[in-house]
Amino acid sequence: MPQSKAAPTTYDVVIVGSGAGGGVAAHVLSLAGAKICMLEAGEWYDCEKDSKMFEWPYQVPHRGAGTQYKPWGAFDATLEGGWQIPGEPYTTAPGSEFMWWRGRMLGGRTNHYGRISLRMGPYDFKPYSRDGKGFDWPISYDDLAPYYDKAEELIGVFGSQEGIENTPDGRFLPAPAPRGYERLIKSASDKLGIPCIPSRLAILTKSIHDRQACHYCAQCGRACSSNSNFNSPGVHIKPALKTGNLEVRTGAMVREVMVGPDGNATGVSYVEKKTRTEVEVRAKIVVLAASCCETARIMLNSKSTLFPNGIANSSGLVGKYVMDTVGSAVAGFLPILQDLPPANEDGVGGMHLYMPWWNYKEQKANKMPFARGYHIELGGGRGMPGAGALGGYPTQFLGGGYGVEMKKNLRKLYGCEVHFSGRGEMIPNEDSYCEIDPHVVDQWGIPVLRFHFKWSQDEILQAKHMQETFQQIIETMGGTVTHKVGEDKNWGIARGGEIIHEVGATKMGTDPKTSVLNQYCQAWDVKNLFITDAAPFVSNADKNPTLSITALGWRTSDYIADQVKKLNVKV
Amino acid sequence: MADKNEKPNVSRRDMFQILGAVPAVAAVASTDHAHMHMAPEPVATKGPYKRQTFDDHQWHTVNVLCDLIIPADERSGSASSAGVPEFIDDWIQFRTEQDGNMNLRAEIFGGLMWLDRESKKLFEKNFVGASVDQQKQILDRIAYPAKAAPEDSQWVAFFNQFRSLTVGGFFSSRAGVADLPYLGNRAVPEWKGCDPKVWAVIEERMKNGYKGILEAKPWGA
Repeated sequence: MPQSKAAPTTYDVVIVGSGAGGGVAAHVLSLAGAKICMLEAGEWYDCEKDSKMFEWPYQVPHRGAGTQYKPWGAFDATLEGGWQIPGEPYTTAPGSEFMWWRGRMLGGRTNHYGRISLRMGPYDFKPYSRDGKGFDWPISYDDLAPYYDKAEELIGVFGSQEGIENTPDGRFLPAPAPRGYERLIKSASDKLGIPCIPSRLAILTKSIHDRQACHYCAQCGRACSSNSNFNSPGVHIKPALKTGNLEVRTGAMVREVMVGPDGNATGVSYVEKKTRTEVEVRAKIVVLAASCCETARIMLNSKSTLFPNGIANSSGLVGKYVMDTVGSAVAGFLPILQDLPPANEDGVGGMHLYMPWWNYKEQKANKMPFARGYHIELGGGRGMPGAGALGGYPTQFLGGGYGVEMKKNLRKLYGCEVHFSGRGEMIPNEDSYCEIDPHVVDQWGIPVLRFHFKWSQDEILQAKHMQETFQQIIETMGGTVTHKVGEDKNWGIARGGEIIHEVGATKMGTDPKTSVLNQYCQAWDVKNLFITDAAPFVSNADKNPTLSITALGWRTSDYIADQVKKLNVKV
Repeated sequence: MADKNEKPNVSRRDMFQILGAVPAVAAVASTDHAHMHMAPEPVATKGPYKRQTFDDHQWHTVNVLCDLIIPADERSGSASSAGVPEFIDDWIQFRTEQDGNMNLRAEIFGGLMWLDRESKKLFEKNFVGASVDQQKQILDRIAYPAKAAPEDSQWVAFFNQFRSLTVGGFFSSRAGVADLPYLGNRAVPEWKGCDPKVWAVIEERMKNGYKGILEAKPWGA
């Protein structure tokens, strides 16, 4: 693995984590000339060498089906990780459900994520001002807009200029044309007055920055063998390593942030997993980007006489206001799609169209039964058949049967299913937080997190609206709803953490008493401690977090570089 | 954003050089679009498949049953020729390990025993020894859930399960992928959106009340 030979004993910056937040910090700060040590708990990963691209399910054991420790199957670009990691438990408080997906590998979850890249809009930064719930961010859309520009230009995002309310357009590459079932869904959406526009994904439809354009095999979740989608190792870390200013240490599980007698951070201590030894890295600035909840865990575990409740936690808010995304899904069967002429419907790895939230005006006029909105993600088509493909169809759609007639009918049903997933905003609440479990540690001797989680009526009623809307879209296309959820199961609302959009836990703000970080994601209590993952988020708009992590992390990194120059931070 | 005057997408040859770096990807001799299928050949298996679940008699029955469910026709071969019995044998062991119980194994084993018991009762032969018409006579009792007698409910559930494994195993096999056909999992130099031939059919059907071609069938569970 590439490492700088003459490693300094005290680095300018130590970055904990190598995903979207750690990656962008390493990228910006290494190009600014800082000497950096990056710590990653998992192993090295290079999508161009390690991706499982083009393998077939029938070439791997059990057709690539998911397992307990590889829940998304053999091809998923997760080296070690998932809902459970052997030897690294977490707990949930009685009455709470919370699922925590961790990706232990260079680049973390950026290797397999959906690449959905939506800017938060002007309303999303000031939600409290708009409806009196949650909190306002200490920054506005205009503060972050230049960094959204930079982020999109670097990572490469396709999309289209639309001018839709609170759905800012960006610096987009051309959007790929929609698939057949997507055009059909758009026509139904048009009838219902729901906007259906080209999606915005961090996948290259043109070659940029010496990265190849997409080859349209639809398997972005496997990580891309031509580095054509955004992933932190291929887009942030590779160029950062070329500067010679970045050293990456993998297999490094961070225990705590160390502090000096003056209350400043002096570096971090970690467990070198291979040897089970404790190692300290000294640095002038500490950047945490271990993922929202892992960052809170490190801070809460960083106890000292100066910080008995964890570092930078004088507000008592570290771990508080954890949010996920509201999710609910409906599936349908569309006879209109039966027995279509054979065609390759792969396209990019994800939807080519999506529906942004469309009820801002009704909401402003108090005509909606819940606060905040959601967007609709859609799927379907004649995708790659994996384990169990079409298996349930005879019972589900053909009334049973066997033999040649059933075989012929099954072919006609291939690709007739569509599904819709709502992704909506959760409002932060007092009952959703993480804390250190007083009784449980992981195999490295690091106390683990205990989660508390609760949806409010705003989220549950949003899920109801999703269910009703998606069923309406399916019926508009002459389809039959095959999966829906009713009131008895809270309209199918996902469990906390299940959508894997955890944000919050170290909120930014304007007042040290009611926030952990200032508007530059700098800890109020510890001036040389910064956070660049999703932990600083004040709200969790329906816009998937990764693009905003990248933009906000870039802004924070610019501030760090600037402060170092002005010597406002002790270096 | 990329400049509009930036050089166009990398050439096809460049792309294949990049993709060729992936060990699993077979070398591509031709740049002809029709030959751009990037899939490697299946991993060579070391000798014949070693059974983990079924004994010899069960294995025989499973092979017969799979081919009654998915026989050969003019487009593709039968389930057994596509390796579906091997898939089911492995899958039952896999699920037993993953789920930490033997429920699936019990359901399949129990159902196979019932097939023999019924066949002996009716025809004084094991299921595999019965004629195809006799075999179908038994299957017809359990293959159509809505029409089945209530006292056959466990065997209807067994057949739903077995049919699901057979169909799922077949259409995820190399032969099944080609049968559907699924035409992706290959590098496409230029994405053109929905094939006009596909859209023409959808558009025509939109004008005719969004109907498909199999309406007569009893849709829904």
